[in-house]
Amino acid sequence: MTRRAQAGLIVLVAVAAVGSWIWHTYASPEERAVRGRLDALAAEFNAATTDGLGTAIRAARLGQYFTEKVVVELGQGSPPIHGRETLVGMAARLQPRTAAFVLELDDVTIQLVDAARADVALTVVIRRRSMASGEESLDAREFSAEMQKDGGEWRISRVVAVDTLR
Amino acid sequence: VSLTRRLVFGRNPRRTLIRILVLAGVSFVVFGWMLTPIRVRGISMEPAYRDGALNLVNRVVYRFRSPARGDVVAIRLAGPHVLYVKRIVGLPGERIAFVNGNLQVNGTALAEPYVLNRNPWDVPEVACGPREYFVVGDNRGMRAGDHDFGRVDARRILGTLVF
Repeated sequence: MTRRAQAGLIVLVAVAAVGSWIWHTYASPEERAVRGRLDALAAEFNAATTDGLGTAIRAARLGQYFTEKVVVELGQGSPPIHGRETLVGMAARLQPRTAAFVLELDDVTIQLVDAARADVALTVVIRRRSMASGEESLDAREFSAEMQKDGGEWRISRVVAVDTLR
Repeated sequence: VSLTRRLVFGRNPRRTLIRILVLAGVSFVVFGWMLTPIRVRGISMEPAYRDGALNLVNRVVYRFRSPARGDVVAIRLAGPHVLYVKRIVGLPGERIAFVNGNLQVNGTALAEPYVLNRNPWDVPEVACGPREYFVVGDNRGMRAGDHDFGRVDARRILGTLVF
């Protein structure tokens, strides 16, 4: 390979790398807003507390990330959860247990349907460290979600667990 | 030229720069699209793959052949950063069941030397579709309910583990 061809190849690879980085970094403003909202949801979940009144406040804050008529389908064996109030109630009751979890949202793909609706695919990773043994366990599940712009904020209107292995 | 400068930039800085760029470009392509580095988490593939082990996923292999029984594969969930690592035990069109912990393929028991711990799993027979593979972890000492296994679409199989 000649020196000129080598240089050409290097430039090509560098341009591809920079292009890929720009593509992933500078998505549309709405896409960034959706992503930011999901990141904030994970941060709110991870900031959950077990102390009395705090649990109710935190649960209510988590509820702000969902629409009034949100539907959550967790898959076979779990009946769908309907409505924000039900979800907030469950979140408040479960917080003493979920406080030991760390939630991560990975591989988030956002597809804007229109200015006020977006389809999201993501992997939810839950890490849990046992207080007794210190061992960390990890569970990963794939979800698809629908989000709507409601009152100027992106909120989740539907969450469905995807059966990666059937 | 000082020794430090010579050690950092080499005798010919221009050539060193080209080498660095070539190395960065090759690494970007190889580790981005051909050999994806992974860290195994969890115990579902023990004893072959222990929690915390590092490995590589060969994402090119299935361009040249189809997945085969016994292959340890990486399966993508919503994307390529979180993957399941499982072993293929059933091929498209085959019927798979677990009877008292033993894997049966089309009604015949399959020898699985890689399984050391075995709980008496009983899972009703399922048939793989034309583009489906049946995957399961090697650690059958776990309760079936704690173990993710089942049919997976071929498009989700990213590649095989290298080591």
